[in-house]
Amino acid sequence: MTLQRTELGSLTGNAIETHGLTKKFNNFTAVDNVDLSVHRGEIYGFLGPNGAGKSTTIRMLCTLLAPTSGSAVVDGYDIVKQGDDVRKRIGLVSEKMIMYPRLTALENLMFFGRLYRIDRDTLRKRSEDLLELVKLTPFKDKLVGGFSSGMRQRVNVIRAILHDPDILFLDEPTTALDPQSTRFVRDLVKELRQRGHTIVLTTHIMEEADELSDRVCIIDHGKVMAVNTPAGFKERYNTNSLLEVFLELTGRELRDSANGRISMRAPMGRS
Amino acid sequence: MAQRITWGLAWDIARRDLLDLWRSKMLLFFFILFPILLMSMFGYIYPPVPKSNPNTGTIATAFPNLPVSIVQMDNGQAANQVAAQFIQISRQQGLFAVSESPSFQAARNQLVAGSLKGIIVIPEGFSNDLDSRQPATVQITVDETNPTTASVVQSEISAIFNIIGSQISNQNISAMDPGNSVNPSFVIQPISVTQEPLIRGTSSSFQFLAPGFMALTVITGSLQGVATAISREKEQGTMDGLLVAPVPHQSIILGKVAAQTVRGLIQGFLILGLSMILFGVQIYGSPVIMVIVLLLGTASFVGVGIILTAVAPDQETAQMMTVLLQFPMMFISGILFPIDQLPVWMQYIGKALPLYFAADALRKVIILNASLSVIMPDVIILVIYTFLTMTIALPLFERAMRR
Repeated sequence: MTLQRTELGSLTGNAIETHGLTKKFNNFTAVDNVDLSVHRGEIYGFLGPNGAGKSTTIRMLCTLLAPTSGSAVVDGYDIVKQGDDVRKRIGLVSEKMIMYPRLTALENLMFFGRLYRIDRDTLRKRSEDLLELVKLTPFKDKLVGGFSSGMRQRVNVIRAILHDPDILFLDEPTTALDPQSTRFVRDLVKELRQRGHTIVLTTHIMEEADELSDRVCIIDHGKVMAVNTPAGFKERYNTNSLLEVFLELTGRELRDSANGRISMRAPMGRS
Repeated sequence: MAQRITWGLAWDIARRDLLDLWRSKMLLFFFILFPILLMSMFGYIYPPVPKSNPNTGTIATAFPNLPVSIVQMDNGQAANQVAAQFIQISRQQGLFAVSESPSFQAARNQLVAGSLKGIIVIPEGFSNDLDSRQPATVQITVDETNPTTASVVQSEISAIFNIIGSQISNQNISAMDPGNSVNPSFVIQPISVTQEPLIRGTSSSFQFLAPGFMALTVITGSLQGVATAISREKEQGTMDGLLVAPVPHQSIILGKVAAQTVRGLIQGFLILGLSMILFGVQIYGSPVIMVIVLLLGTASFVGVGIILTAVAPDQETAQMMTVLLQFPMMFISGILFPIDQLPVWMQYIGKALPLYFAADALRKVIILNASLSVIMPDVIILVIYTFLTMTIALPLFERAMRR
């Protein structure tokens, strides 16, 4: 039985809508009563210092983490009650690369694509088209274990859009990439927006957020500090740099914290 | 979430896991080496039990040509004859390398130094006793610091003297009964025991060990494999790729379990094959029932692996926990030695573990050609275990994955 899209989602037409979304780990509140609305077709920059609650929020929206309280509607479906419907419509590029080193690029794509029950012929065609898009056709039959980080990330990004998701979550997609790969991935993100995907992008690189985002949300201590367009932010704070806006909003002191979650479950929200 | 298992997805997941093993040649090498090593090591710890045949006067041994020494204190003809016979039989059957020592003290020094395994003293008056129609005595000393060798040496020396003794008895009876009206055996050993074997052919301790090892390898291999595979994928981040897709959790579990079970079965049959080739183990039962028992054994235990994954914070801890679980199980589930050898309270613990029932059923199938109906009690218990552990494991897995 599949439930109908919830009323809220279809009324507002927003890609993502959250209300009072909260996640607690024991006594630590990672995400505190967050209300977000992400418009369809936009690149939504999701910024915040380490430990602000970015990844935890994204993992909740991807149904990888159950919220403690509050609700979220992704592409019209409730993340708790309609998890499978949400999962069919989202793609995730997380901090850790989602791919098997002992499989070739094409094998990885075929494996993950099959999880969405795409038939083999369609999937192969789509995988090959996407490999062409990221210029990896000559390497499609090579094990990804031997790829450079830039090549891996390109495979990782197209792995997330095999099933043509409405919404794509990119969690620090250019961290640890060389300038060439960074440029390529950023252009790819723009290209994907052109193709109609809604993109939620987290990054610590302010110029990246500035260049790519239609709107930027700055979050700290699990709370939303402000939402605006990059231009709107810069105008309001009377500066040329989004970095200055960010530091103005989140303060300049270093964020050293140890909340005891480090050794727990592997890739939990850390930013 | 009432999701149904998608078999196709489980198959895809299982196939990928197996491909991963196949692609890593190093891992594959150790994967095959492990059962070979395990089997050959235990092959030499538990040497096949030799069977002697008193009718033909043959004594079989697992320890050929052990060094022993004779101390001859009597110079009579009978004593010399007995010593010569002892040396001859020992040499003929390859039991002992016999030397002669001038005194017990000299032989004892050699034994303490380790160059002798036993001493036979033919005491003064030995010939006299026999000549005056009295039973005579020889005295033996063995190296008691090594109980296994000591008992082998002791029983082999006794067996040789039994042969010599019955030859003397035969002569004595013939001398007393010149007409041969009495069968000498009637006087020496009026009742003899013959054994009707439960199974055809010869049995060795391997016949007991091989099924146990097979069950142990398949079941604990899958248990550990599942726990490691799931926590590794969680740690590497690839589990996110599975969880973020519309895949029922049961399919993920089934896929992982299937891949590990196939791996376990390959190792298990390697062990069986090796014990057939190297140690002459024979299979009397149906391979199909064997596989059924092994699959059930795996199913009964794999839930425990999932519980460990759900509880353990990382792969290393999960691995430690499975090893800690396997190790005592190996000793108290009747794998290495019969469970009756254990103290009663330990037997209860052993019999509370599914491994005991799987090994027991497998042994009955392999050695006694038991049918499914014969091993039904074991089968039912394994099925109950499967349901119990899975009922606990599935919700825990669900929770752990979305934590």
